[in-house]
Amino acid sequence: MYGGGNTFEPIKATGLEMEDPAKLAEFEARIERGEKIEPQDWMPNLYRKQLIRMIEQHAHSEIIGALPEGTWITRAPGFRRKLAQMAKVQDEVGHAQLLYSAAETLGKSREDMITDLINGKSKYSNIFNYPAFTWADSTVISWLVDAGAIVNQIANAKGSYGPYCRALDRICAEESFHLKYGHDAVVHLATGTPIQRKMLQEALNRWWTPLMHFFGPPDKMSVHTEILVKWKVKMATNDECRQQFLDMYVPKIWELGLSLPDPKLHKNAETGEWEYTEPDWEEFKRVINGDGPCNAERLAVRRTAEERGAWVRKALLSPKATYVTPLA
Amino acid sequence: MNDVFQSLDPRINRLGVTVEGHLEAKSSLDQFETYEVFFQMKEGKPYEHAGIVHAPNEDMAFLFGKEQFSRRYTCTGMWIVKTHQVITSPITDHEQSAYDLLDHRLAETELNELSHFEVFHLKKRGRQQVHMGRVQAKGYHDAFKQASEHFGTEPALQVWVIRSQDLLFSDEADKDIWFTLPEKKYRDAIAYKSSDKINAYKERTAKQ
Repeated sequence: MYGGGNTFEPIKATGLEMEDPAKLAEFEARIERGEKIEPQDWMPNLYRKQLIRMIEQHAHSEIIGALPEGTWITRAPGFRRKLAQMAKVQDEVGHAQLLYSAAETLGKSREDMITDLINGKSKYSNIFNYPAFTWADSTVISWLVDAGAIVNQIANAKGSYGPYCRALDRICAEESFHLKYGHDAVVHLATGTPIQRKMLQEALNRWWTPLMHFFGPPDKMSVHTEILVKWKVKMATNDECRQQFLDMYVPKIWELGLSLPDPKLHKNAETGEWEYTEPDWEEFKRVINGDGPCNAERLAVRRTAEERGAWVRKALLSPKATYVTPLA
Repeated sequence: MNDVFQSLDPRINRLGVTVEGHLEAKSSLDQFETYEVFFQMKEGKPYEHAGIVHAPNEDMAFLFGKEQFSRRYTCTGMWIVKTHQVITSPITDHEQSAYDLLDHRLAETELNELSHFEVFHLKKRGRQQVHMGRVQAKGYHDAFKQASEHFGTEPALQVWVIRSQDLLFSDEADKDIWFTLPEKKYRDAIAYKSSDKINAYKERTAKQ
């Protein structure tokens, strides 16, 4: 599960003048032809750095995203939902592993990625800094946060870096279950008792702003990423993803007789574009910089798990172990 | 700030997690070395590279590989090998075979006796390595030469060679770990059909 908030920071210097022009031309021609770049290929430093950052943030988002939903495994109503919730949480953690591996092929070790996550140096998707108060919150996450992530991931799966694309193909295939499972759980509440409907409506109201934040700031506020588009690192703009999400899911929310807390939200019949009130982007910045309702808890939980598991890993480590960069 | 925070999750509250704290930078190999995982989706199909797992030993790598790469689809076998035991050729373009790019840097790794080697090809960029077959050779350099003779006409954008004895192969007795895969319907998208509920709801509200 991952959104597009990753493009928030500007690229300070491309460093392209330092690269070998012949190799750069060959690299760009390969992408232009629609071929994938593989780990052993030559690539410009900027490409490597941006991909590491993007894939790493995606991996962190999967692992942190498992926390609010993991909370609900023991309290999910019914045995079947517990099984499904558990399978979904296992998927998310598995996705983190796939993504950490893809980032590792670019030369950043998993140890460094975990350290940077826990010490606040690397970011993850902002939406997981919000709490899941009720079972309805958990169903809204399963359906709509995963829906948003799929929009983003399907776009990125057509990118240029082989290992990332392969990880995303696998992830998207698994997330089709998350989406259906989440939708089913939402429909169950929406078509249930008045109390169930009320609980669901309240959860939707709570998650709407984080969901609008999910794809990152509007294109007009975002940093220019022309080179990343050319290199097929960034495959769709934040607004394109947001529009696609609204187009696919707002009608499905409305057909259940539920409302969304934005009176301005509607599809412009002439332009075919959705119009909406801009969510509070100051809140987005504040939360992404650490001051959200759950930032401290999420990182503290991860840190504790790492610290308390350290002795087991130490005991298991073979003195003969040697590390080399994974292959693909 | 409180030393211990209140979470919505009772399990987290029981852990006594403190808010303030800093993780000491992880040392190298804290996450162990990596293993490359190959698996077979159906009997008779070639083994394909699936990805990597971090693990302290072969047996754990096998378990992690099973959980990571064969949870959803059918699987009939899995192979595991340490990443550093995979010897790779350079990667090339669709016009050229990777066998044409082999250099002589492998000469010094010659072994004394004949061994078996498993040969894998990357047939297209963006895809995974596919198992081509086994050759007998007296070292890695020789194995690449043998592989070139046996499989050189097939597309080979990159070639991997692994000494057979370095691989952990699943055996017949292991296969039952995949038998229950199709029973776990609760994690299949098709198990969730909400359209009936939605239609019933629409009919009900239309009448009101």
